[in-house]
Amino acid sequence: MNAAGIILSNLNDCTLSRLTEQRTVAAIPFACRYRLVDFVLSGMVNAGLQNISIVANYNYRSLAEHIGCGKDWDLARPWGGIRFLSPYQTSGSGDTPLHAHRMETLKSIAAYLREYKEEFVVLSDCTDICSIRLADVIRAHRNKDADLTLLTTPCPPSFTAKFPVLMMRADSDGKVLDMVKSTGYHPEYPQRFLSLFVFRTRYLNRVLDQALAYNHRSLTDDVLMKQTGEKKYYAYCHEGYAAFLSGFLDYYHHSIELTRNEAARQSLLFNRENPVYTSLQHTPPALYKEGAEVYDSLIADDCIIEGKVENSILFPGVRITRHATVRNSVLFAGTYVGQGSTLNCVVSDEEVVVSDHSQLSGSKHLPYYISRGCNV
Amino acid sequence: MIQKECVAMILAGGQGSRLCPLTEETAKPAVGFGGKYLIIDFTLSNCVNSGIDTVGVLTQYRHFSLHEHLGDGRPWGLDKQRGGLRILPPYQKNGESCWYKGTANAIYQNKHFIDRYAPRYVLILSGDHIYRMDYSKMLSAHKKNNAVCTVATIMVPLSEAGRFGICNTREDGSIYEFEEKPKVPKNNQASMGIYIFNIDTLYRYLDIDEADPHSANDFGRNVIPNLLYCGERLYAYPFLGYWKDVGTIQSLWEANMELLQKVPGMNLWDSHSPIGSRGRVCPPQWIGNRAKIENSLVSEGCVVNGEVIGSVLSRGVTVEEGATVSCSVLLEGVHVGRGAAVYDAIVDCDTKVPEFTQVGRPQAGKENLTVMDGAEAHGSERLVVI
Repeated sequence: MNAAGIILSNLNDCTLSRLTEQRTVAAIPFACRYRLVDFVLSGMVNAGLQNISIVANYNYRSLAEHIGCGKDWDLARPWGGIRFLSPYQTSGSGDTPLHAHRMETLKSIAAYLREYKEEFVVLSDCTDICSIRLADVIRAHRNKDADLTLLTTPCPPSFTAKFPVLMMRADSDGKVLDMVKSTGYHPEYPQRFLSLFVFRTRYLNRVLDQALAYNHRSLTDDVLMKQTGEKKYYAYCHEGYAAFLSGFLDYYHHSIELTRNEAARQSLLFNRENPVYTSLQHTPPALYKEGAEVYDSLIADDCIIEGKVENSILFPGVRITRHATVRNSVLFAGTYVGQGSTLNCVVSDEEVVVSDHSQLSGSKHLPYYISRGCNV
Repeated sequence: MIQKECVAMILAGGQGSRLCPLTEETAKPAVGFGGKYLIIDFTLSNCVNSGIDTVGVLTQYRHFSLHEHLGDGRPWGLDKQRGGLRILPPYQKNGESCWYKGTANAIYQNKHFIDRYAPRYVLILSGDHIYRMDYSKMLSAHKKNNAVCTVATIMVPLSEAGRFGICNTREDGSIYEFEEKPKVPKNNQASMGIYIFNIDTLYRYLDIDEADPHSANDFGRNVIPNLLYCGERLYAYPFLGYWKDVGTIQSLWEANMELLQKVPGMNLWDSHSPIGSRGRVCPPQWIGNRAKIENSLVSEGCVVNGEVIGSVLSRGVTVEEGATVSCSVLLEGVHVGRGAAVYDAIVDCDTKVPEFTQVGRPQAGKENLTVMDGAEAHGSERLVVI
C-alpha cells in the first residue's frame, strides 16, 4: 500500500486526565491486554503500511516500552518500519514547545513529512476505537482522486462528547458538503468524524506550507472547514461498531460494554479479518483455582482467580483471592484484590493493592478510580 | 573468535514414538505443554537463566514446527550476534546423507559448531524434560570435583529405576558404574540425560565411539560406559527439584495435572527464572455466563461457555455451552461442541469434538487415558485408547 502512517499519541489527553497522568492516550490499557494505540496501529499494519511514525510529545515512557522496536507488529524493518517522533532541541531553538494540537504537532514535523515518498498519508489519533479495513478506505480515496478522505460514522442522537468534534454531511457519492464542530448530535450533520484522515501527501504538504506561512493553529478551523467546498474532501462512512473515548466515563462504559455486547466484542477483539496485535508477553496462562466463579468477563493470561468475577475486565497478573467479588470493574495489570473484598464499578490502575475485607463501590455514572500503585 | 566458557547442545531430534499420535506430525520437543509452552521451552529457558547464551539445537525428526518455534531465538533472548541459538539439522556431505545415528554421533557431526566458540566445557541436554535447573551450579560442581564428565542425576522410585540409566556412586559422588536400563537396579539414582564434558575428553571419546562400528553412538549406552571403563573421573550431580521426563502419554498428562496441584510440580510463576516461549497474538479469553471453571489453566484466545474442571487449555480452545472438560489436556485450537464431554484425555491440536459425544471415561486415571487426534485436515477422527 503506497501510504505512510502517522499516529498522534498525545491528542486529547486532558479529557482522559486520570488515565493519562503517567502515560499518553495511546498507551491507555484497554480490553484486557491491549493499549489504545494497538487498534489503529494494527489497522495500518493489516492494510500493508510499512512506514509508520508515532508522534509522542511527553509522558511517553510506557508507550515507548510497549512499542519497543516494533517487532510484535512486524514493524522492525531495515527500511521504514516504525519510529518515534518526539520534540527535541536544536541548536539555538531555545525551549521546544509541547504541542497539544494536531496542527502544531504537524508543523513541528513538517520537514520530516516533506521527505515522504508515499503517495498518501494516513493520520490518526487514538481515541476512536473501531475495526476498519483501512485498505478499503485508502482504495476509495485513490479511486475518488480525493485530496482528503475523512473516516466517519453515523452519529446516534444520543451522542455527546467532552470536547467539540467534527460533524459533517456528505452527498450520495460521499463528497463532503459542509462540516461543523459540535459536542452533541446535530441533525443536519449526521456523520461524526472518527479522527482518521487519509491525505494526498502533496496536499498535506501544501496545507503545512500555508500553515507555516500564515501561522494557522488549527487544522479543522483554519484549513478543513474553510476549504471544504473548493477541495475534494470525501467521507468514508464506517457502519460498524465504534467506541469514542472522549473522557473517563466513556472509557469505563466502552470497557464494560465489551462484556455485555457480543457484537462489539466480535468486531473489535475476535475479528479474524482484522486482528489486533499487541506486545507479546511471557506469561503463564490464567489459573482458576477452587472457588473461582467467573461469568461474562474478559480475562488476560497470568491472572490467578479464587473469587467471583462478573462483567469485568482483568488485565494480566491480576490476583482475585478467596471470597473476593469483583463486578462491573476494570482491573489493570498487577491489581491485587484481598480476601473477602467486594469491588463494584471500580477502575483500578496498574499495581493497585486492595486490602482484605474492603468494600469499594462506584456507580455506573461515577466509577470509582484507584490510581496507580495505591494501597486501599 | 568469540570464546565461550560453556556451549549447550540440546538433543531434540528424537522421534518420540511413545508420545504417538501427538508426535505424528511434530517432534517431541515441539509438543505443547502447560497451555502456552512447548516442551523444549523449559530446557532453553534453563540455559538462558543459567547464563549460557550459546545453544545449538540438534533436530532431525519432523522438525518444521520445532524450527518455526525456535526461529532466531528471540523469545529467549538468544537472537545474538555473538553466540545465541543455532538450529543444527543433519545435512548431506559429499553426496552421502548423514542422518544422526545416535546422540553421540549428532554431537560428533557438529564439532565445527562447537569449535567456533572454543569452549572449555560442553553441556549436553535433552529437549524433552520438564524441570527448572541452574546449570551454572552443576558446572561449579564439575570444576570443584575436577571431573572430566559430570552426570546430573535424580532419585526415582526404585520400581521405575529399570527405565533409566542408573549411576552407582562412591561416597564422594564419583561414579564407578553406569548401567543403562538395568533389570535389577542397584539403586535409584537415575541419569537425567544431562552431561557436562571437558571438551578435550568429549572429543577424544567421540572419536573412539565413531571408530567403533558396533557402537550405537549413544551417550548413555556407549560413551559414558566407555569413559568409566577407561578410568576417567566421572561425577554425579544430584538434582533435588522437580523433574519430569514427558516421553510417554501418561507422564505428559501427569506433568500437566501436576501444574494444578496446590504446590505445583513445575512452577510457571517463578519470576526469577521465567520460562520463555514464542508468543502469538490472540484475543483475551472470554468466559461466558454459563461457564464454570475450577482448578484449571486457561490460555489466551479461549472461549469458555461450558464446564472446565481440573484441566489445561492451550491457546484458542473453545468449550461450548453444556460441554464438560474434566482432567484433560486440550492442545491448541481444540473445539469442544455443545453438550460434549471430555474426561481424562489429551486432545491434539485443532481437533473438533462433535456435539453430544463423549471422549474418555470419567476417573479413568492415568493408566486408561484417551488420546484424541483428529485434525480436520485428516478427514477422520481417531481415538487412541492407551
